[in-house]
Amino acid sequence: MEGEAQKATASWESGTLAPVDRLRSVRADSPIPGLVEGTEPGRSLSHYQWDYITDCALILKTAGAGQKSAMFIHAHSFEDLTAEAEEEALRTVDSGRSEEQHEEGLKALVAEQNIDEQHSNDLSDSRTKEEDVSSEAWRSHKKHVFVLSEAGKPIYTRYGTEEALSSTMGVMMALVSFVEAEKNIIRSIHADGCKVVFLTKSPLVLVGVSRTCQSDKEMLRELQYIYYQIVSLLTLTQLNHIFQHKQNYDLRRLLAGSEYLTDNLLIRLERDPGLLLSAVTCLPLASSSRDVVSSSLQAAKSKNLVFSILLAGDRLVTLVRKKDQFLHHIDLHLVFNLVGSSSSFREGEGWTPICLPKFNTAGFFHAHISYLEPASQLCLILVSTDREDFFNMSDCKQKFMERLSKRSAYQALKEAVKCPSYSVAQVGIPELRHFLYKSKSSGLYTSPEFPMVYQSDEEQERLLSLYQELHSCLHHPTRPLRYYYRCRETENLLAQVTSGFELYLCFSPLVTKASAFAAVNKLLKWIRKEEDRLFILSPLTY
Amino acid sequence: MSTRKASLTEKQAKNGTSKYVLERCASINEYYDIAFKVMLLGDSAVGKTCLLVRFKDGAFLGGNFIATVGIDFRNKVVDVDNLKVKLQIWDTAGQERFRSVTHAYYRDAQALLLLYDITSKPSFDNIRAWLTEIHEHAQKDVVIMLLGNKSDMAAERVVKTEDGEKLAKEYGVPFMETSAKTGVNVDLAFHAIGKELKHRATQQPNEPKFQIHDYIESQKHKTGCCGP
Repeated sequence: MEGEAQKATASWESGTLAPVDRLRSVRADSPIPGLVEGTEPGRSLSHYQWDYITDCALILKTAGAGQKSAMFIHAHSFEDLTAEAEEEALRTVDSGRSEEQHEEGLKALVAEQNIDEQHSNDLSDSRTKEEDVSSEAWRSHKKHVFVLSEAGKPIYTRYGTEEALSSTMGVMMALVSFVEAEKNIIRSIHADGCKVVFLTKSPLVLVGVSRTCQSDKEMLRELQYIYYQIVSLLTLTQLNHIFQHKQNYDLRRLLAGSEYLTDNLLIRLERDPGLLLSAVTCLPLASSSRDVVSSSLQAAKSKNLVFSILLAGDRLVTLVRKKDQFLHHIDLHLVFNLVGSSSSFREGEGWTPICLPKFNTAGFFHAHISYLEPASQLCLILVSTDREDFFNMSDCKQKFMERLSKRSAYQALKEAVKCPSYSVAQVGIPELRHFLYKSKSSGLYTSPEFPMVYQSDEEQERLLSLYQELHSCLHHPTRPLRYYYRCRETENLLAQVTSGFELYLCFSPLVTKASAFAAVNKLLKWIRKEEDRLFILSPLTY
Repeated sequence: MSTRKASLTEKQAKNGTSKYVLERCASINEYYDIAFKVMLLGDSAVGKTCLLVRFKDGAFLGGNFIATVGIDFRNKVVDVDNLKVKLQIWDTAGQERFRSVTHAYYRDAQALLLLYDITSKPSFDNIRAWLTEIHEHAQKDVVIMLLGNKSDMAAERVVKTEDGEKLAKEYGVPFMETSAKTGVNVDLAFHAIGKELKHRATQQPNEPKFQIHDYIESQKHKTGCCGP
């Protein structure tokens, strides 16, 4: 298989796409559409260098390099991550100087670049659906995410097409390699309201370009998620294997049809507080009903079944796991993302390999995904270790359904799904608009629905970015805080962290500091009273 | 577990005439006499899911392309000569990364619908590779049918009907062009498969063999190069 793959790629590397007839014998046991549907042919080094230079200008422009002096590079050493400040400073200066040298060369080439841009404008006419990567609209997106291989080959871009960005990504890789050559790691570039954050996770490089006020740490966390999303589709073992055998492999071939998962994950990162809090939220449900659902799920077990997860939309109803096996919140969010992004599980029963990277990056689990009823929000995910377990899992679901439909709890569950959230008014604190409460021990959080003032997507994203800011301050790597109170024109915010919980509150701007702090106690009391409905207090194992 | 065991014992007891009958007892309102497993194969984006949805719900999934994740399993009961035949249909993802999980279920299938897209030459060119793969992993007596989908898109056609016919003839498999959008030949494809499987399962020794090729030829709606 490996030999075949190499043969196949060798013919493709030579630049002339081999005739289908020849490929056929090579690909006898695995028809690979990507191989014949033109992929980017190999380029000569000089070509790359040329692109590097022209595109350095491009990227610097994107990064708002109008003020060159504002630009500096964060880097840290390979050998010693807490390198002496002196040494660090020296290196930063060093790389800064080389950057300047590059820029000198670049200025001369700006004219050339303009021609290039015109050219790509012409090309983009034939690709009307895709965004033109040289357009102002493309540049003004709030956050870009790029994934590339260590050979500089594009794997994913949030906006525009990867083909159009191949030289830009080549530059990104050049920046990474340039710093790496001095036994350093590039972490971020800051320039004029724009931040470029790098995450190197061999064999992949992830780059985030943001105009938001997010901290580097937050952006890194998001890039980590994207990395795990890719690993969950392929496993790290397969990724490493592929790139060990062929450094300039075009990974898009294997990821074809999964771009929407990454797209959706990026949207979730902006809208779902769970990804910020490293927690998931539950469907509010009377504990007696939840216990019946959990025990029905527990009874439907099978030898290779590791996790049974019941979801209502984006909310956890219950999770039953094998003894001593735990599901990390990142893995759970990846499962949520897979289920939430695909309408294809609605009708039938889905069966798909999935790697849960926080559990094991080396292998696939196999997930049986189906909705309890076609029109229902309730989705059951049964995770097995065996690829051939489809029928067993299908039987497990059948057993669970038979058991559940006999109980009145099913009716209660269906009722609960109809109102999956609660209003903040229930808490009885008039100035309180919204809050996030995370219980650290369970990894679960609760939050009311967004009030009227935060109904639009933009407002929700704005509120979440405020929470994100609070979160960054509380979890600052060197100066962590326990309380944080902030007055703004549009709202007042309070955050608190203890060993047991994390709390983020949003008040009307008229609230006083004293009453805000008093509200915390009242809210905690309310949560304690409601906790058996809002949280899963007794998780079950098989 | 039960279904899996059942299908294994079926294979061992090949000589029985009623081997597929009442495989799994019908649940509440879904009665059937015989059940068969049918698998949809072909490159990504040739319209496998659309074909299935057209057959199952009589609707067309317009708009954006939604890639199937892994394998999707759905049931539909059809009437074949007064017998309720339940088709358990595996809709597979065309993408390369799902190949291994698809392979694992080839041998469970009694019939394979192999699709290409008449507006995509590569999808047609890959049919031979698919057939090689089927030969390797599927049951020896599996029923195969070749379908050229998207026959409504006459203006973008790049694979001639004759080319499809020629290829099908070479491999001795029945062929037709279908359109999940307009529904042309979609029901026929599944019905022909159902008829063939039903005849195989219930055939008496002295009964004449069901000729799937003749049946299709007599029923199919031609879509020539000059349009429908």
